[in-house]
Amino acid sequence: MSDPRDNVQQEFLSEAQELVEALSRDLLLLDEAHHRNERIDPALVNEIFRSVHTLKGIAGMFGYKHVGVVAHALEDLLDDLRLGRTLVEPHLLDVLFDSVERFQQLLALEDPQSPEEEAGVQEYIAAIRAIGTESAKEEGDPLDQYAIEPAVLSVLTEYEEHRLRACIRQGLRLYRLRAAFDLTAIDDSIETLRAVASDDAEIITYLPSMEGGNEDTIELVVLLASGAPKEQLEAHFEGRYGTIEAIEERTHLPTLPPRPTSIPSTGASMETQAEEDSGQASLQSVANSVRVDIRKLDHLMNVVGELALVRSAVNRIVDQFKGDATYRQSLTDLDRIGRGFERQLAELRTGILDVRMVPLGQVFNKLARIVRQAAREHDKQVRLVVTGANTEVDKLIVEKLTDPLMHLVRNAIDHGIEPGDARIRAAKPAEGTLALNAYHKGSNVVIEVEDDGGGMNALQLQEAAVSRGLLNADAGLELSRQEMLDLVFLPGLSTRSEVTDLSGRGVGMDVVKTNILRMGGVISIESEQGSGTKITVTLPITLAIIRALIVTVASRTFALPITVVREAIPYIPEEVRTIEGREVITLRGETLAICDLARLFGFRGSSREEGRFVVVGSMGNRELGFVVDGLVGQDDVIIKALGKSLASVRGFAGATDLGDRKVALVLDAPALFTEHFDGPEAGWAMETHP
Amino acid sequence: MSGGAQGATLMPAWDSDTGAVAVLAVLAGDEAYGFPLSAVREILAPPPLTEVPRAPSHFLGVIAVRGQIITVIDLPKMLHLEAEQTDPYGRILLVDNGEELIGVAVDRVIQVYRMEPNQIEYASAMSAELSDYVVGVGRVPSGSSADAEDMLILIDPVSLLGGVQ
Repeated sequence: MSDPRDNVQQEFLSEAQELVEALSRDLLLLDEAHHRNERIDPALVNEIFRSVHTLKGIAGMFGYKHVGVVAHALEDLLDDLRLGRTLVEPHLLDVLFDSVERFQQLLALEDPQSPEEEAGVQEYIAAIRAIGTESAKEEGDPLDQYAIEPAVLSVLTEYEEHRLRACIRQGLRLYRLRAAFDLTAIDDSIETLRAVASDDAEIITYLPSMEGGNEDTIELVVLLASGAPKEQLEAHFEGRYGTIEAIEERTHLPTLPPRPTSIPSTGASMETQAEEDSGQASLQSVANSVRVDIRKLDHLMNVVGELALVRSAVNRIVDQFKGDATYRQSLTDLDRIGRGFERQLAELRTGILDVRMVPLGQVFNKLARIVRQAAREHDKQVRLVVTGANTEVDKLIVEKLTDPLMHLVRNAIDHGIEPGDARIRAAKPAEGTLALNAYHKGSNVVIEVEDDGGGMNALQLQEAAVSRGLLNADAGLELSRQEMLDLVFLPGLSTRSEVTDLSGRGVGMDVVKTNILRMGGVISIESEQGSGTKITVTLPITLAIIRALIVTVASRTFALPITVVREAIPYIPEEVRTIEGREVITLRGETLAICDLARLFGFRGSSREEGRFVVVGSMGNRELGFVVDGLVGQDDVIIKALGKSLASVRGFAGATDLGDRKVALVLDAPALFTEHFDGPEAGWAMETHP
Repeated sequence: MSGGAQGATLMPAWDSDTGAVAVLAVLAGDEAYGFPLSAVREILAPPPLTEVPRAPSHFLGVIAVRGQIITVIDLPKMLHLEAEQTDPYGRILLVDNGEELIGVAVDRVIQVYRMEPNQIEYASAMSAELSDYVVGVGRVPSGSSADAEDMLILIDPVSLLGGVQ
C-alpha cells in the first residue's frame, strides 16, 4: 500500500474499497428487509448489481484477476435476482455476505494474480453458481390476470416485465395514470413523479400516448403498481397530474391507438446501462452520465448532414420565387427563419461533437499500467506524474492514440530512464520520473511524454543513419542537432537487436509518427543527453471521420461517403441507353441515371470499357449511378478541407490522406447529384479560368 | 493556419525604405523568382501530387503535409507566362499568404539574397496584369559574371491566391 510508484493503483484501490463498503451496506439493508418479510426494493437490488458490475470492470483494468472473476460470477447471480429468476433467501444472502470479505482479502493481496488464491476463489465461484435459478418457480404467468395491451407488453424491457410480474405476485394492483408533461422540462417532471410515487406506488414504465398533449406538452401513460386503495392514489396524483384508473382484471379494454414504438421508455436507461457489459469501466462515477455507442453519435452526425441538405433544397425553391414582388414579405421571413435554422443546426453539430469528447485520463489510466509493468520488467524505479488527465478530445482520437502513446511510454522506460545505480552515479535521484502532460492549445490538444532519463545521443543517430544508407555522409555532416534527433523517425533506423547502441529510441518511432500524422497530428522530439527526453504530440481536438468507399477513376483514387452508396454493380456498356441526352441503365426494372466520373472530370482516353462498375448512390428519393473503373474497398477516412484557394472548385467535399502521403479527393455527393439532375446552372457554374 | 498575423506584416517588409530584406530566389520555368524569406515556411521534396479535376490549370493539385492538405500552384502559369515548367518539380515551397499555406512548385532553389531597397524596382512601372502578384523586379549580382546582374521577379505572398476566387 505504501508503493509510491503508482498513484493510479492507489486510486483503483480506494475506488474498489468504496464499492465493497457500499456493497456491504446495501447487503445489510437487503438482509433486513428480507428478515422483516418486507417488500424488497428493486432499486436496492439494482444498486448492488451496479456496485459489483463496476468493481468487475475496474478490477479487469488493473489486473486484479481474482476480484474480477468473483465479481463476474456475482454479477450473474445478481442479474438473476433483479430479473426475478432467483429469489432472496437466507443461503443466497450468506453467499452474498461472504463476497464482502472475499473482496477485502483479494484487494489486500501483494500480488493480485497470486496463484495460491486460485483454489479458494474457484471454490467460492462454485458456491455462487450452485445457487442457480431453480429457486424461482413460475406458477402461471401473473400477467394473464390483467388485460394489458400486447402493444404495451411488447415494449417493456425484460427488467420492467419482471417488475410487473413481481408486483402482481405481491398482490399489488395495476393502475394507469395519464398525465401531461411540459416537453421542455419532461426529465425533471418524471423525476418528481417518481419521488411522489415512491411512497405508495412503483412506476413500472411510462409510454407516450398519442392522445392529448399539444405542441408544448406530451401525454404519458404511466403504468403503476400499488397496494394502496384507489382513493388514496387519486388524492395523491389527480389534480397534480392527470386521471388515474385501475387496469381491469381479465377483461378487455378498448385498444389504445397504436403508439410509436421507436420512442424508448426513458425509465429503463439506467438499467440498460448496467446491463450493457462494455468490458471496461472508468474510475469516474457513472452517476450522471450515460454510456453511448459511438455509432449512435455518428448516426446523429449524418442526420445533421441530411438536414443541411434539406435546408439547401428549400433554398433552391426559394430562389425560384426571388424577384416576384408578391412574395417579397414571405421570402424575407423565410430567409430569416432559414438563417435561424442554420444557426441551430450548427449548434446541434457542435453539441454532438462535444458529446464525443472524452477525457484523456482514459488513456492515461492504461498507460499507468504499462508504466508499472515496464518498470517491474526492467527493475527500475519510475514515478509517474500525470497532469491534465481531464483534457478532453474526440473519442476516436483517444482510441487511435492509445497505441502510439503506449509505445512512447514503453520506450521511455525501456531505454530512457536508467537503472537506479546508473542514476545515482549521474547524481540523479534513484527514482526516475515519467511525466504525462496534456493540455489544450487553441483547437489542438498537446500531449507530452517526458522522462528524466539518459536522453538521446544525436551523433549516434546520425552515424546509424549514415551506416544504414538512410543518409549520405556529406548530408549527415550538415545536419543540425535537432535534425539529427529527428532521424529517429526514419523507418529502418534501428532494429530491435541494436536498440542499445542507439540509446534505444528508434524502434517503431516511424510507426508512431505515421499514426500521429494520419490523425492530422504532429510529433516532435526534444532531448538533452544526460538529462532526458520530451516527446510532444499535437493533435486536432476533433476529427471529421466518415466511412467511405474508395474507388478508382482513370487511375486516380477517390473516396465516396458510404452513407450515399446503396450498392455497386458491374457496368455493361451495351445496356446503356440515352434518354433526353442523358445516359441511363435499367436496374431491376427501374431506370437509373448514370454519370461517368471519368468524363465528368475530363479524364481523357485512360478510362477502360471493360470491368468497370456502377456505384449506385441514393439521396432522398433520387438515385444516380456513378461509373467508376475499380472498387478498392471501404475505409474510415478523415476528411480535411481543401485550401481556400480551391473553394471555387465544386464536386469535392475535401481530401483525405490514405497513408503513404497519398491524397484522395472525397466526392461531394450532394453537389454531384444537384449538378446531374438540376444542371450546373442550378447550383453553380463550372469555373472558367484560362 | 500558421501565422495569419505574420502574413499581414509581410508587405511592409517589401515596402520599407530602409533596411534589407531576405529574399529566397528560386528557378521555375525559365525565370527566377524571389519570395520574402519570412513568408516561406518550408522547402519540400515534392510528395505525391493529387490533381484536382476541374480546377483552373495553374493549380497543379494537392499534397498532404503533416496531415494538412496543401494546394500546389504552377507559378509561371499563374503569372500567364508561357514558359513550360519541368515536371517532376524539384522542390515545393510552402508559402504563407496570410490565409493558408500555398505550395509553390519550382525547379530548384537558387539561394537567399539580402536585398537593399535600391535593388528593387517596383511594379507600378510594370504591366497591370502582373502587378496582382508581383511586387517588382529585384536585381542581384549574377552568378555567372561579376559585372552582370540577374533579375528576380519578386512575388507578393499576400496576394498569392488571395485574389483568385
